[in-house]
Amino acid sequence: MIRMRRVTKVYKGNVYALEDVTLDIEKGEFAFLVGPSGSGKTTLIKLLIKEEEPTSGQIYIADTNINQLRKWKVPYLRRKIGCVFQDFKLLPHKTVFQNVAYAMEVIGKSRRLIEQQVPEVLKLVGLGHKLDAFPDELSGGEQQRVAIARAFINRPPILLADEPTGNVDPSLGAGIVRLLEKINSTGTTVLVATHDKNIVDTFRKRVIALENGRIIRDQDRGVYGYE
Amino acid sequence: MNKLKYFAAETWASLSKNLILAVAAVTVVAVSLGILGLVVMGWNMFSNMIKNAERKVGEVDIYLSDLATAEELQAIEAFLVSIPEVDAKTVYFKDKEEALQEFKERFKDQPELWEYIDENPLPNSYELMTKDPKDVGVVVSKVSNEAPYRERIEDIKSASAAIEKLENIFDKFRQIGVIGVIALAVISILLVSVTIQVAIFARRREIGIMKLVGATNWFIRWPFILEGVSEGLVGSALAILVALSVKVWILDRLIENLQFLRLSLTPGLMWVLIPCILLGGVLIGALGSAYALGRFLEV
Repeated sequence: MIRMRRVTKVYKGNVYALEDVTLDIEKGEFAFLVGPSGSGKTTLIKLLIKEEEPTSGQIYIADTNINQLRKWKVPYLRRKIGCVFQDFKLLPHKTVFQNVAYAMEVIGKSRRLIEQQVPEVLKLVGLGHKLDAFPDELSGGEQQRVAIARAFINRPPILLADEPTGNVDPSLGAGIVRLLEKINSTGTTVLVATHDKNIVDTFRKRVIALENGRIIRDQDRGVYGYE
Repeated sequence: MNKLKYFAAETWASLSKNLILAVAAVTVVAVSLGILGLVVMGWNMFSNMIKNAERKVGEVDIYLSDLATAEELQAIEAFLVSIPEVDAKTVYFKDKEEALQEFKERFKDQPELWEYIDENPLPNSYELMTKDPKDVGVVVSKVSNEAPYRERIEDIKSASAAIEKLENIFDKFRQIGVIGVIALAVISILLVSVTIQVAIFARRREIGIMKLVGATNWFIRWPFILEGVSEGLVGSALAILVALSVKVWILDRLIENLQFLRLSLTPGLMWVLIPCILLGGVLIGALGSAYALGRFLEV
């Protein structure tokens, strides 16, 4: 589902964010991408949604080489990838329902479909009773669930999460990852970038460890491994 | 249909949020296009007047020195009649006395102009008409270059010289008008683009999220383009109102009351002008938003 071949990303000033990264994540897999801040996790995610271009190397999403993707096709790539971020990226003046509906509106889904699917997905993430709340009335954990609902509403084959528990109360972080696990069980490929040791150690999934832009470890049922 | 509703709602929400800026942009668009309308109508009226005048006026007057002898006058007259462009029947010798009588007749309400004249200051002259008014220039140059006893010809006057002067002055005005309209159009494009920039800035979070969830670039751009175009359209509607009222309340009355000037607007001019103003408004709006989108929206 995600394939990276010898991918290197150099930022201005000769800063190597990623160096010679080769990686395969299969359809339906769940993987943690771990490493200290500045190890290249966020860069890797930005490359996958083509927010950044690799300096060298090839990236394939669902067997499509996205390096050669034309600019106007990028939105269609992004529809295949749901994204969740540390800062939620919710619109403060829209309700929970409207925030999730927005992701359907902007790709031209009908009102009827929106009315039907948004409450369903919000129920799935455990917010079926808060459709009309505004983001600032919700806890960090609840806001992140709204963001996950939005990322999942169009049933993308891939879901990327960049530090999804970073702004969430530690006791609720596991709940967020359990939700991602639930989404993974529907067949969605999930990649979670995190430096939350507890979470990685609790869930015992595939762990891909980055350090200074290089993959230093890739193991099934792994642990966080940094001290 | 669903999309259309979405775009309309987004456009309206954005417009009403930046009401003051939008009003400023609309006003400037209206002023520029209104001036465009006035310039076009004024130009049309004036050029019609000139055309009418040219059509009627093929007259040339040749003023003669009092020193000219009868033989010299005869030779000159024979020459004038022989010019092919001249309508020979119209060549007419007007002597000093007749000229003075005409003068007195014309200014009979102001006798002080002629009461105290001892000696007739007016010259003898030949008057003639050309066969075609546009040949006036040819005739004038033939007379001044080829006539016999040219030293006896003191002056040649034709109405077309006056018209030409008027045309020159008018051309200047037209150039100023065109430059002014272009400058105003550029200013309105910039103002529209400022309102769109503000709208883009106000919605930068939405734009980021739209990109994230895979909205196409055109889907993101449309509300902004519609916003610019609707500002242009409202502005051009106001400009059309201005142009129409100027036509009905001022120009039509001028034409009716100053008939001797032979003023007129080409029939159907408004049917061309109104769509042009609307198109201008759409263009200004579209260019303004395109400029803002090009500079401030990376999609």
